[in-house]
Amino acid sequence: MIRITALAAAGAVSLLGSAAHAECSFENDTPVSLLSAGFEAWKAVSDAMAECGNFQAELDQEFRTKQPAAFAANPSLYALGGVANGTITPLVNEGTIRPLDDLVAEHGQHLNENQLIRIDGQVMAIGMMVNTQHLMYRADIFEDLGLEVPETWDEVLEAAAAIREAGVVDYPLGATMQTGWNLGQDFVNMFYGFGGEFVDAQNMPTLNSEAGVNALQMMKAMTEFMDPEYLVSDSTYVQQQFQQGRIAMANLWGSRAGAMDNEAESDVVGLVESAAAPKATEDGPPATTIWWDGVVVAQNIPDETAEAAFRVAMEGLDQEMVENNNDAAVWLIPGYEPTRLAQGAIATLQAQPNARAYPSTTAMGLMHTALGNGVAAFLTGDKTAEQTLEDIEAEYLTAAREAGLVDG
Amino acid sequence: MKPRVFAAFVAPSLLMMLIFIAAPLVSVFGQSFYVTQPVYEQVEVETCTPGFPTANCVTETKSQPVFDAEGRIETRTIFVGLDSYRNLLQLDRVGGYLASGDWGAILNVDFWAALRFTLMFTLITLPIVLVLGLTIALAVNNAVKAIRGPVIFMSLLPFIITPVIGALSIRWLFIGDGILTVALEQLLDRDIAMFAQGWTIELMMYFYRVWHVAPFAFVIFYAGLQTVNQDTLESAIVDGANRWQRLKFVVIPHLGPLITFVALIHLMDAYRVFEEIVGFSSQSHVISLQWLTYDFLQPDDAGNRAISRASASAMLTMIGIVILLIAPVRRAWREHKGVR
Amino acid sequence: MATNTLRQPLSLRLASGTFLAVWCLLAIFPIAWIAVMSIKTPVDAFAGSFVAVLTGPATRAGGQGLSVLDLVLGGAVVIALTRWAFTGLPGIVRRATPAGWIALGWIVAALLYLALFGLVVLGVLPQLLDALDAVAGPLGVPVIGATFEHYYAVWVENAFWRNFVNSLIVTAGVVTVSLFVGTLAGYALARSPSNLAFWLLIAALIFRALPHSVLVAGYLPVFINSSDWLAPIFGEAAPTLYGKPYAVIAVLVAINQPFTIWMLRSFFQNIPTELDEAARVDGCTHFQAFRQVIMPVMWPGVITTGLFSFLLAYNDFLVTSLLLDAQNQTMVPAIASYFNRETTTTDQVEAIAAAVSITAPLFILVMVFQRQIVSGLTAGAVKG
Repeated sequence: MIRITALAAAGAVSLLGSAAHAECSFENDTPVSLLSAGFEAWKAVSDAMAECGNFQAELDQEFRTKQPAAFAANPSLYALGGVANGTITPLVNEGTIRPLDDLVAEHGQHLNENQLIRIDGQVMAIGMMVNTQHLMYRADIFEDLGLEVPETWDEVLEAAAAIREAGVVDYPLGATMQTGWNLGQDFVNMFYGFGGEFVDAQNMPTLNSEAGVNALQMMKAMTEFMDPEYLVSDSTYVQQQFQQGRIAMANLWGSRAGAMDNEAESDVVGLVESAAAPKATEDGPPATTIWWDGVVVAQNIPDETAEAAFRVAMEGLDQEMVENNNDAAVWLIPGYEPTRLAQGAIATLQAQPNARAYPSTTAMGLMHTALGNGVAAFLTGDKTAEQTLEDIEAEYLTAAREAGLVDG
Repeated sequence: MKPRVFAAFVAPSLLMMLIFIAAPLVSVFGQSFYVTQPVYEQVEVETCTPGFPTANCVTETKSQPVFDAEGRIETRTIFVGLDSYRNLLQLDRVGGYLASGDWGAILNVDFWAALRFTLMFTLITLPIVLVLGLTIALAVNNAVKAIRGPVIFMSLLPFIITPVIGALSIRWLFIGDGILTVALEQLLDRDIAMFAQGWTIELMMYFYRVWHVAPFAFVIFYAGLQTVNQDTLESAIVDGANRWQRLKFVVIPHLGPLITFVALIHLMDAYRVFEEIVGFSSQSHVISLQWLTYDFLQPDDAGNRAISRASASAMLTMIGIVILLIAPVRRAWREHKGVR
Repeated sequence: MATNTLRQPLSLRLASGTFLAVWCLLAIFPIAWIAVMSIKTPVDAFAGSFVAVLTGPATRAGGQGLSVLDLVLGGAVVIALTRWAFTGLPGIVRRATPAGWIALGWIVAALLYLALFGLVVLGVLPQLLDALDAVAGPLGVPVIGATFEHYYAVWVENAFWRNFVNSLIVTAGVVTVSLFVGTLAGYALARSPSNLAFWLLIAALIFRALPHSVLVAGYLPVFINSSDWLAPIFGEAAPTLYGKPYAVIAVLVAINQPFTIWMLRSFFQNIPTELDEAARVDGCTHFQAFRQVIMPVMWPGVITTGLFSFLLAYNDFLVTSLLLDAQNQTMVPAIASYFNRETTTTDQVEAIAAAVSITAPLFILVMVFQRQIVSGLTAGAVKG
């Protein structure tokens, strides 16, 4: 099977017309495989890894389900894994990925200090890109109406009111509020913006607080200016709304920025600008979270395989790859030239006080699920803010007890 | 047929069903009374994540699983009895709502909301499917021979199309400024958002299911119509029965067993409604029992799955199926006895 | 028969005709519409008016479209080829194949026909029409925007043909195994009056009603770790079942068994018992009677049941998406991946093109086996 896939991979590469093998610095003779998510940046990285030969990539939308089990198998079904802040948690918890300090010392001196993801002092993953939700807006509309670029969510609402008044777009605001993960994520952003904490040191929920109520109310206020179908709008949907000129602002993922200037799809090429994520309070951090994507190496494989896999990974994360795919992400890798549309992501990352990195904890995983299922009830008007938060806390507690995270 | 021969014939099929259906089912039943969880400890951990231009390091207290000597996670399995069922049904809360007369609030509990939708979905689509199927069958039977072939062909398409694709194709027609939404807006001269509120989504789900299943009912009924006894029909005409009476007293009784068959299949399939929830992403408004189980089993980012509650919800779903099937099974048993 | 009394008033005929027309429109509209969307650029595909999507101004502006000439000539060729498949082809097959090999003859004929169809419609026709358009004047100017780039992207660039092959392998496996195992059980259940047989059928009925997600989630860890727990039996060679098509075939066969045995049992019940009794008197064992006397008259039932197994395996999403890796992924989960990755609008139109591609074989299937589906379903259902 491996031979067939290698053949197929070779075929695919030759179709793209690039002179494959020559670009890899070494000839890889150990079979190496990767399991990761399947978005653009991973495609670029895995194509670059494939240059070394004997490499097989699996970009799978079910990777989240498969990864923990596949890495727990002995030997692990994959040598390399693509993870993000959230998805690294089960692998660290179960000890199925290996510390990379030795390999970094030997093969990774060129890595940026910033790329080394350390957990408890050990390098556990090599970061390749950061992603964050930040403000994107139609610069032309803002100029026409003489509006300032908003820095807080209150200003966003004012601007939205003005845009609605002028009637230049269908809906002034867009947001990734699809029920489930997306909606949970939007709440997390806003809640951190208001200075909230999800759990205390004993993992007991501390959601039902002023910050929680404020976050919910701000989200509700936003929905006034949004397409009423916001509960099914995911990132692609918001991106399309932008492209078709139906919205004027949204707090959207940095990785989506490039699509605004895609001439085949977009009616608004060159009109969308980006800025830091708005703050929830005047002196607070931007109401967003910082995400990273990176590579991990499996524990349950021979050391030689791990070494080969790491070298292949380094090849995938090299400068050449970044130069060829500069626009695919906000890369952490040397050689990256920030483009016009990356400014918002960078401004968000540099804002003071810092926006938080999305926490990689078991408790957060449970909380995020409970939020994703529970927040909608307030937005649709079925429950009051307090009742909503109370129910989410109760759901979180049930799940946390079942997971053994809290007692009794 | 001797028992040994019977066993030899049935064995391969039975074996497969035992391994892949019965065994998982038994394990699910067991799991619903137990909870298996890792043992956690609190540790101080320093974590560094990328910032721009330098990394951010924070130290925080985290819960981490404890490892045993072999490097595997230490877990404990606790007998929790009916706790998972209780967590699911939340009877005390429901009792509170009932006592306060606030009946609608029961639907705040996921399980009851799922049950409400699943039952309504099953019971509303059933008569529509039967009537629509029968009407199409009668109309096709009524049509000139030449067009029957093409009509049957077109009618079969919704039935054989991949369910995921079918649901998506209908979703594309309606979502956002989908083509049919725009048409509706022009027709009614008002702004319409089909995915903005629960009842419109529910309506689309009913529509999709009827669209998908009515052809099946139609084909069965249509074939049944070919064997209606012409003599009976003619004597009914001689007796002066009008069209409606002939349909009611001759045709429908003839189709009786087929109607039962279609109804039974539809009950079973509609009860496990699932693709619609995913296809129309209706989670925030309506969920079904199978989706609830599926959702418990989906790992979140941190890899947690609520296995115990999933098992409990699966068992409760099972009980529903068994209740639905009691009546037909009793009838079949009586017939079986009669045959012997 | 007294046709006069059965003749219907005009109003009834009209009503019934109108109803049929509306129903047919409803039945094919969603499918036809995605077919139209799949040949437009993203801007047109998601446009807000019927006319814009149908005529595709943006697609046409991009220089891609069909002229009147293309529509007329191309349509005529496609229709002629399709008609010939039903009128001319059967005769040729019958004449060219020796008796007893008719099934094989049909398979060869179907493959040859597909090759011919592909060659003419995808190979010769576009070249010819391009040449004609250049000289045809106003008739050669594109009037309807149409582009096949999404199909090209799906099938060639994204190697969708591999998913197609995987789908073929899984479906063929499921249909064969499920029929083999199912006919044996169905026959025994139809011929045994015992209580055991009855309760087996009832158990199967309950299994049939089970929500699949309950079962499927339990498989994943077991399949991934299979080399561990199979080691005592197979030793070093113990396979990892995860990602293997045969493992998925086994699961789908098992899930499909309840329906298969119920259906086949009904068909076997329609075959008079005298037939096997006569064979038994002649000294056949049960199995010989089954193999040599019963099976030859069971073909209609087997074909219908096979079609249903085909549909189940071909359309399955839950099992295949979870238990297969990317290399062995079938078509339906492959489409879902178009949506779950960070999609662009182009990806969505490609997904629509892929969705249409998936539907095409089903389309052909219904066209060919329509009669078997209708007659077979009834024969199976009347007794069921």
